[in-house]
Amino acid sequence: MAIPIKDIKLPEDSPKELLLDKHVEFIKRYGKSDDDYEFGMSDYLRMSGMYWGLTALDLVDKLNIIPQSEVIAFIKQCQDPQTGGISACINHDPHLLHTLSAVQILCIYNRLDVIDTNGVVTYVSSLQLPDGSFTGDKWGEVDTRFSFCAVATLALLNRLDVIDVNKAVSFVESCKNFDGGFGSRPFSESHAGLVYCCLGFLSITSRLDIVDRDTLAWWLCERQLPSGGLNGRPEKLPDVCYSWWVLSSLTILGRLHWISAPALKNFILACQDVETGGFSDRPGDVADPYHTLFGFAALSLLGFDCIKPVNPTFCMPQCVIDKLKIMHQLLENK
Amino acid sequence: MHGRLKVRTTEEQQLIKRKEQQKKLLAYRLGMKQILESRQPDTYDPNSLAICSQLLIVNPDIYTLWNYRKEVVLLEISADNSNDSSSEALVNLLENELKLTEQCLLANPKSYGSWHHRYWILENHPDRNWQNEFDLCSKYLTMDDRNFHCWDYRRLILNKIGVTLGDELKFSTNRININFSNYSSWHYRSTLQALTDDCVQDELSLVKSALFTDPMDSSAWFYLRWLLSNSVVKHEHMKEFLANINQLLELEPDCKWILVAKCWLLKLLGLDEINYKTEEMESYLKLQEIDPMRKGQYVDCLKVLQLY
Repeated sequence: MAIPIKDIKLPEDSPKELLLDKHVEFIKRYGKSDDDYEFGMSDYLRMSGMYWGLTALDLVDKLNIIPQSEVIAFIKQCQDPQTGGISACINHDPHLLHTLSAVQILCIYNRLDVIDTNGVVTYVSSLQLPDGSFTGDKWGEVDTRFSFCAVATLALLNRLDVIDVNKAVSFVESCKNFDGGFGSRPFSESHAGLVYCCLGFLSITSRLDIVDRDTLAWWLCERQLPSGGLNGRPEKLPDVCYSWWVLSSLTILGRLHWISAPALKNFILACQDVETGGFSDRPGDVADPYHTLFGFAALSLLGFDCIKPVNPTFCMPQCVIDKLKIMHQLLENK
Repeated sequence: MHGRLKVRTTEEQQLIKRKEQQKKLLAYRLGMKQILESRQPDTYDPNSLAICSQLLIVNPDIYTLWNYRKEVVLLEISADNSNDSSSEALVNLLENELKLTEQCLLANPKSYGSWHHRYWILENHPDRNWQNEFDLCSKYLTMDDRNFHCWDYRRLILNKIGVTLGDELKFSTNRININFSNYSSWHYRSTLQALTDDCVQDELSLVKSALFTDPMDSSAWFYLRWLLSNSVVKHEHMKEFLANINQLLELEPDCKWILVAKCWLLKLLGLDEINYKTEEMESYLKLQEIDPMRKGQYVDCLKVLQLY
């Protein structure tokens, strides 16, 4: 009763080269398309969407094709004067996910002065619970994604001092599983996206010592399938976004060389849409800015001449992190 | 936007689709406007609440809409607290919220917002029925036994209805026997009991039967690595398991999982025994050949071996 490995076959006519100009056009068009259905219906994640698009553009040195002043005016309007938190778009509620995205965009532009950063700091620290965990907003959903968003936001603002870091670390540690991975809450199954969040969290708090390094790196490198693509959990299909979550995690652990880079490159390039530009999760699916950023970012970690180096912890251009002198821990390859 | 296949269409079809989409987009925008403009701290508009349900059924990820509904519920709860009469209206409202989340979850079982709203409503529900929730979990797990939201929810409910971890251990054995390759069940099992001298033999036997059923399937190998890393597993267990692994290797000489497990066991059994070390090195060399994608890992393991 052998169960076949879940995977896909790459189409033979898949693109083999990076279609850089098409991707730049794709993102530019996406940001302009106010009447477009996909764009119009996704206002509830606009701030994160802007982070995906703008970071992707900056990674290929094309940030200037989007008018900075419009982006900044939009972000200013999304900050809630009462709580200090930032929402996905105007008239929506503040949320930690979008607060981080907004701060990331402003760091890329080096324009943190346009928002009330003290307000952001107060908002983030108000979301920590007595057990050290973080909620995404005032309604109480706890998740290690939010632990990451909280420390990433505060680290970018150089204000990690306002939260109880030790308790925050204990909570993340309590989410560690039998396979060395991490889930969204204590006892939740390991998932590559949450592994990234927890490793990113531990990288920012310089506590990678709590990781079972080789057990986790083994689980991570076993995400690579015969197609070259990476999945997010055992027996799941490969997806371009996991190229990022798994690869950044392996990079943080100093174990990037435990997977096959050429095979993964091949898979990611096959997920480009030759007509519209952009990357999709798998070959033949609809492209979107989210997979386009994570396609670029993964290719950057694998070393691609025309893409700037990306920081594995923050998923932002390394030069931005260097300029702001943001401290974080990465394990060496030894 | 995951797993959405790009479909080729004619120009005419595209035009029709575009028109439909424009209509939907307009309706979405009008609906959002109506809800957000009618949002007040001390009162709410039932019509907006009804529109809100329609929008969430189409897209349960619009987080602000769930927040709006929670505000409405809190308003009703505080109104209910201030009068002594029947709270039937409140219960109806809460039941309605549960129905809505169920509809949303049927369409999109992975929506964080729907799961959270459901739990939040139950916590605020005077006549909540946790058993119902437990049954719902079991139903959803039959539909998709890898849905981690559902596993997490099950864990939350356990404490409420007094199901013991022992009961859940039986449940997990059943799930694993139905499908050895269900990684979620193995994970769940790892969270249910501390490994002790009493249970370790049973756990090793369970893994063994999974591995002998299908050594190519990865799930049980991860569980084995965890078992072996625990101090309750003694040398005698390991020696016995190594014999099993060697037996399996004769049947499936090119199965990388068996070779990897053999390396763990050889390492745990002692580096000072020269025969073990040679066997381990040979296994890593073979692994480099049969699993070239992960060559980097095997090269690192070999380097460590050569240091001793």
